[in-house]
Amino acid sequence: MNKIFILFFTFLSLFASEKDYKLGESLFEKTCISCHGADGRGNPQLRLVVMPRALSRSILDEEQSYQIIKHGSRYWGSLADIMPSFESVFDENELRSIAYYISKKFNPNSKQRVQTLYDKSDEISQKREHKMLKRGKKIYKRNCSWCHGLTAKGDGEATRNPEKSIYPYNLRKTLLTEKQMFLYAKYGGKFWGTYKDDMSGWSRKYDDFTLKSIIKYIEKEFRTEHKSKI
Amino acid sequence: MSKILKKILLLAIVTVSVNATNHIVDQKGKTFIPHSLDVTVGDTITFRNSDPFAHNAYTDDEENEFDIGMQAAGVDTTIRVKGAGKFDVECAIHPNMLLEVTAH
Repeated sequence: MNKIFILFFTFLSLFASEKDYKLGESLFEKTCISCHGADGRGNPQLRLVVMPRALSRSILDEEQSYQIIKHGSRYWGSLADIMPSFESVFDENELRSIAYYISKKFNPNSKQRVQTLYDKSDEISQKREHKMLKRGKKIYKRNCSWCHGLTAKGDGEATRNPEKSIYPYNLRKTLLTEKQMFLYAKYGGKFWGTYKDDMSGWSRKYDDFTLKSIIKYIEKEFRTEHKSKI
Repeated sequence: MSKILKKILLLAIVTVSVNATNHIVDQKGKTFIPHSLDVTVGDTITFRNSDPFAHNAYTDDEENEFDIGMQAAGVDTTIRVKGAGKFDVECAIHPNMLLEVTAH
């Protein structure tokens, strides 16, 4: 009897996954494809205008993709991306289905890729936390604050350039985890699928200890009341 | 005697200023051009921003410490070399920018 139940629920879960995937695929092809392209790498003809991200290289996992699709990127701290909120366009099942499809189709190893790269980085002892915060604060003010601002709202002095060609994130709002922020800072935006030439990779200039120190400082100083933690 | 000394000193300063060279360092494509510079103490370096976005130039060298702050596109900023030695100039916004200065 138990075997029958197990088979029944296995069948149901497979069916549900298939349905989500198909629904997600269908909605992607009706909507998202116009910017992100059939291969998820960003429609090259639109790169100069809206510069959609390459979904195939995104740092986001499925849940984070869902959050971006639902609320739009501005809600999560972007000051430039034209990724709108689809909350009023799709219902919950449809939003989840698109995120599921995107994740499975274009970036199935996202979490594993993040973990592998993080595992390759230097392990920092928790005993060094005080030193990290001190170092992080110094370097944040020296480098990061030019773009992200002294209070991490993405309003640094460089954004007041008349050309206004950079659009740094509001780090108080970004949904990236501490681990993801470290990897984004280390490798830079292009590595993670953006076509905007803004956030450089800082690994040539700073070692893992310094980069992790900066992120720890940001977490402690600016993100204690982050949406994801409430 | 002290007046003569003062005059000599003033003349020396004026002579140095007159003989000082101004070196132009362009910031283009997120690169310092040239990448390295040989200068004499007293020379000036003009940082020119030819990129369409903001730059910065700074050094933590003890003798020559400076930070030109946010430099908008198209702007020139000049600093004077104060001490001899080798030092690096970097841009606080773009981590791959590096200028190596040797001051004699």
